[in-house]
Amino acid sequence: MSELPFYQPHSNEIELFEHAYRNRLPLLIKGPTGCGKTRFVSHMAAKLNLPLYTVACHDDLTASDLVGRHLIGDGVTYWNDGPLTRAVREGGICYLDEVVEARKDTTVVLHPLSDDRRILPIERTGEILKAPPEFMLIVSYNPGYQNFLKGMKPSTRQRFVSLRFDFPESELEQQIVIGETGADAMLAKRLVNLANSLRALKEHDLEEAASTRLLVYVATLIGSGFDPAEACRAALVEPLTDDEETAEALMEIVYASFG
Amino acid sequence: MEEQVGALWHKLITGAADKRYPREAVSLEQISKTAGILFRAWGGDGGLAVKSAVATQHGAKRSLLQRIAGSHLKTELTWLDGETLNLPATIDLFPSKQLNRDLYLWLIALSATESDPSLPWIVRNQRATLEVLERFPGLLGRYQRLVDALLPMRPQRLAQGEREQEAAICAALKFPGSVESLPAAKRPPQPVYLWLHPNPPSSPAASANNKEPQNHEAGGDVKNIKDRRYQAERVDMPQGKDGFMMMFRAESILSWAEYIKVNRPTEEDQPPDEGAAEDLDRMSVAQDGKTSASRLKFDLDLPCEASDDLPIGEGILLPEWHYKKQLMQPAHCRVQPMLARHAPALPLPAHLSSTARRLRGQFAALTPSKVWFKAQFDGSELDLDACVQFSADRIGGVQAREQGLYKAHHYRDRDLACLLLADLSLSTDAHISDNARVIDVIRDTLFLFSEALSATGDRFALYGFSSLKRENIRFHILKEFERKYNDEVRGRIAAIKPGFYTRMGAAIRHASQLLAKQPATQKLLLILTDGKPNDLDQYEGRYGVEDTRAAIHEARQMGQRPFCVTIDDKGSSYLPHLFGVNGYVVIRKPSELPRELPLLYAQLTR
Repeated sequence: MSELPFYQPHSNEIELFEHAYRNRLPLLIKGPTGCGKTRFVSHMAAKLNLPLYTVACHDDLTASDLVGRHLIGDGVTYWNDGPLTRAVREGGICYLDEVVEARKDTTVVLHPLSDDRRILPIERTGEILKAPPEFMLIVSYNPGYQNFLKGMKPSTRQRFVSLRFDFPESELEQQIVIGETGADAMLAKRLVNLANSLRALKEHDLEEAASTRLLVYVATLIGSGFDPAEACRAALVEPLTDDEETAEALMEIVYASFG
Repeated sequence: MEEQVGALWHKLITGAADKRYPREAVSLEQISKTAGILFRAWGGDGGLAVKSAVATQHGAKRSLLQRIAGSHLKTELTWLDGETLNLPATIDLFPSKQLNRDLYLWLIALSATESDPSLPWIVRNQRATLEVLERFPGLLGRYQRLVDALLPMRPQRLAQGEREQEAAICAALKFPGSVESLPAAKRPPQPVYLWLHPNPPSSPAASANNKEPQNHEAGGDVKNIKDRRYQAERVDMPQGKDGFMMMFRAESILSWAEYIKVNRPTEEDQPPDEGAAEDLDRMSVAQDGKTSASRLKFDLDLPCEASDDLPIGEGILLPEWHYKKQLMQPAHCRVQPMLARHAPALPLPAHLSSTARRLRGQFAALTPSKVWFKAQFDGSELDLDACVQFSADRIGGVQAREQGLYKAHHYRDRDLACLLLADLSLSTDAHISDNARVIDVIRDTLFLFSEALSATGDRFALYGFSSLKRENIRFHILKEFERKYNDEVRGRIAAIKPGFYTRMGAAIRHASQLLAKQPATQKLLLILTDGKPNDLDQYEGRYGVEDTRAAIHEARQMGQRPFCVTIDDKGSSYLPHLFGVNGYVVIRKPSELPRELPLLYAQLTR
């Protein structure tokens, strides 16, 4: 835990996190892609000086990927803890990113951990781990995802204290861009205005809103000497749409902001 | 001969008088998608449609040549109202395509900027200009290029008074914010192409009592009605009972242009010649609120009870969203479920059988996604996890349980319900080819869709709807979820017929209520339509669109996925607003719809 990762709070989320941690409540963070969910978690882990185990969930993730499995080596077998088990044993944060991507039967192993029992039964070894006070379970997902066949089970959702993230206010977002890339205030302001213009198109012309992360990319490219409009095309317009006509229209918006 | 000479002269003189550059023209059609995106991105209202405005008479001084040519009386201006952003259909003002295109973008930026309509025209435009330049510094260069190109085109030789006016306009263009009022003059100034115009242009009186913009209802025609707004003037409906009937059409231009308070009892009007409408300065429309309704008495009255479909139950009261008041009007609509009275059981029509067979084959193989099942007793691959577990247990001396050591690739059972809601309004009576009407396509689609779905085993239901005002929303039951797809259902599908209007919001609300009762976790609400929501009363234009949007939103809230399949090629102007960018698909060739819809379903539920 050397340096605290940069994080610009939007409102009371740090306070809420600390309260949840002290009271051993699991936390659910929802918000659009690239708005700082993962960064927030790593910031808090560093701040509270806890080990962080991040699992990026995918649809082939099984319960044993989380809990652990037996491995065979040299005539003997040994048990290998999964990230969840390790976090429980060591007393750290286990962060399941994009938890809706995981198969539904997988998330059921979280249930005994996320209520007041705070236990992790390991079926294979017959162990029942009791989570120490330092253990905290955090899951996140993106509710806007147009994934029809997926969604979080209400019974899982109801076990978490929930925190909704959105893109920060203009002023804050400018500070984030400045803090992340060292861009000058003028550039940050333009980029944030541009992003807000593009966000107005969400649902109507674009699937996803322009994320803060993309703005940071753009500012980074510009900061290293790349042409501003082209940086916007590469790191902002093209990631948002595949449709050429839409891309051209978005470039007009870029030109209007950058000239 | 006379005609040829006349045509030649017209060409010559208008060519000489015309200082425009048709070769460099940019048309709204070319940039319409860009225009919509820019307008919304820059803060414009997402519910507005972008359309081309019709020319307005400007009344300013013309050059001698222009007067001889009889041209340049009118110009297309940019203005905004509650439903549309009106832009010129083409811009060919400047000698380069780039400048003409820039002018479009500039006008869009200007109209997306909030401005106070009570300010005088000149002040308002200067303020808007300043604001746009401040918000979008990148437009400064363009603005300057546009002003530089525009200034030499402004009239030079002018009379006293007009000269001062012109000077003020030029100053306001060059240094926006510097002019506080427009000096008075005998004639109105030359139109300023870089500025917006009030709505509707030039005549504030016409909009004074304009409470609700009313478009013509689109009866039963999918023919390409030109996407234009005509400048309309509200005139009181004459009360007199006598008068004379206007029967003579050859001089329709004259008779149209000057509205005489003639009592014209409703008659079956021929659709007027569009050319005539375009030449008019102003179309006079009497606002008696009955024009369409009373005409409808002729053709769209409800059928007598005996020959009508069988109503089921008392009808269901549903709310409706009023976008101007921003409130949900409770129990505003009555949805009446109906069952076809004469619908004998039928087999699948012969002309569909081969397509149906192919679709069933495809669907049986295609839809449910294959997944790997672990720990199977039989399978194509070893399940490494299970094998390791097994060996570990064995070596560790644990009593090895009997367990599957293979992975198998199987179809996953799906927990999915789909409700298809088909628009059966009268507009589906229109022909789309020599031998098919829209309704025929919809019928075939329903058939093939059911065939395909019954092959997958997914639960589905089919309903149709049409409406005649808010108390008569006819909801035709074709197949309920619990009913098996059989000849009886096929008979009902075969019996669908077009009628009435499209009050989409209420139909969607009822459909999503039905769908919500299904136990499935995934719910798909498919809407099949051929046009915009509309009905006889205020349910048209923006009102209908916003109500439908609200209904779609409610369905989403209930965890359903609404998706629209439309055969309205103009649909792209309002569909994203209703369904979101990924929530709809426009089928260009209606004849392909029966084949496309099942495939689409496969994609949606993959």
